[in-house]
Amino acid sequence: MPEMSPEKVTAVEESALDRIHDIDIDDVIDYVHKDLKRLPGYLDLYRRYLRQRWDVYDIDFTRDAHDWTERMTGEERDAFVAISSGFHHGERQVEVELPVFMLGGSEESRIYMSSQIEDEARHTVFFDRFYREVVGLPGESVQEVLDASFEHVSETFVGPFGLLAYQADELRADPDDIAARVRYGTTYFLWIEGVLALSVMKITLSYCRNRGLLPGYYAGFTATCRDEARHVQFGMRFLRDAVQEDPRLLTEIHETLRTILAINQATSRRVMLEALGWSAEEVRRLMIRQLTMKLTDVGIGLPPDLRKLIGGIQPELAGG
Amino acid sequence: MSVPEFFTPAWAEDVRAALDQGPGEDVRAAKLPAYWDWIAGVRAAYASSWALGVRDLPGAGPSYLRLGWKDGTCSEAAIIGPGDPLEATYVLAADLSTWRGLLGGQDPGRIVMYRGLRLQEGDVVRFFRGIYFFVESVAVIGRVPARLP
Repeated sequence: MPEMSPEKVTAVEESALDRIHDIDIDDVIDYVHKDLKRLPGYLDLYRRYLRQRWDVYDIDFTRDAHDWTERMTGEERDAFVAISSGFHHGERQVEVELPVFMLGGSEESRIYMSSQIEDEARHTVFFDRFYREVVGLPGESVQEVLDASFEHVSETFVGPFGLLAYQADELRADPDDIAARVRYGTTYFLWIEGVLALSVMKITLSYCRNRGLLPGYYAGFTATCRDEARHVQFGMRFLRDAVQEDPRLLTEIHETLRTILAINQATSRRVMLEALGWSAEEVRRLMIRQLTMKLTDVGIGLPPDLRKLIGGIQPELAGG
Repeated sequence: MSVPEFFTPAWAEDVRAALDQGPGEDVRAAKLPAYWDWIAGVRAAYASSWALGVRDLPGAGPSYLRLGWKDGTCSEAAIIGPGDPLEATYVLAADLSTWRGLLGGQDPGRIVMYRGLRLQEGDVVRFFRGIYFFVESVAVIGRVPARLP
């Protein structure tokens, strides 16, 4: 990957919410990866969080609501909802599953983790607002809006997110069990955030930018993507340090990836990606690239069976 | 034909027969064939067993529905009562209210994600290699009529 220019780095790092619509999603995704070879410390990421935190209630969805009803086709709306519902529920899942991870690790890790939990709660509110104010789903409570969007969530969502829920239960028994933390971290930081979330961001944000649609969504979700950069960098640092300290933990990453990639082969619904300007093959290649870049940059080697499974990755659209 | 009581041998046998048959055409038609192909591939080689518990069955205490799989068929279904020896590759349990929801049509995948049904024993990562087979099997169980307490 070519180096990001200092101007682009500054723009991504320091743009306030009212200027973030000027940033291209590709620059934010480059920003996620730019530090993977020299991963920042946990307190550096916490300081960055304090600078980059945004107010989810500052987003104005007025023009989005107009675009949704007047400028988008029915096919585009269906595809958009099918993809973003995986994120709506994904954000809720990770917000609920993350606190148990904070119980273990160093004090620096716990301090940083408090910021990520707050990020995930804010992202859940972002989608709650989007579904109420733009898509027009009914609901008095956050849960009722989640219930209303659930019909759009694929049956295969339970694969990675159910796995995370059960791994969180496993971790609850002993939050300092490093093998359980590495398995959990592989599912959450590497796959859900590092591959699924970034792929959905790229697809929906490229669509918004290319078509000049949904400016509130674009601003909030681009800010969300910038938050994800910290999450992914934290997670990759955690996995890298864990394996460097005890190389036997590499087998925990491999075993978890075997499960993730095995269940990724199942597809229960066809999403009309073409309506958003994407093909299934392009999404597949995007996901493979997201995964291999992180594994390579962090120095996680793979046995041949896993390399083969990665080559067969199927489009899967959710995130958190 | 009378509807068997929940968590009795007669209900367990109905569950076994329903699992052996698999979901009906109406259920299958709602999802892509590739999804059912994936499940069929897992099922054909599945040799693990499940114990699905109800924690608070009135007058009985924690009880389990033990299901064994062999050569692609549900080869065994038995009710294991409190105090009876319980052996299964994966032991899961839910409250009666969760079972009521399942038999009332709630989505089994969501029940897993919201931890209505929790894995008590067994390797999490390996359990999830067959997750869609498991979830669709739980959906089948939810469609088997039972008289709830």
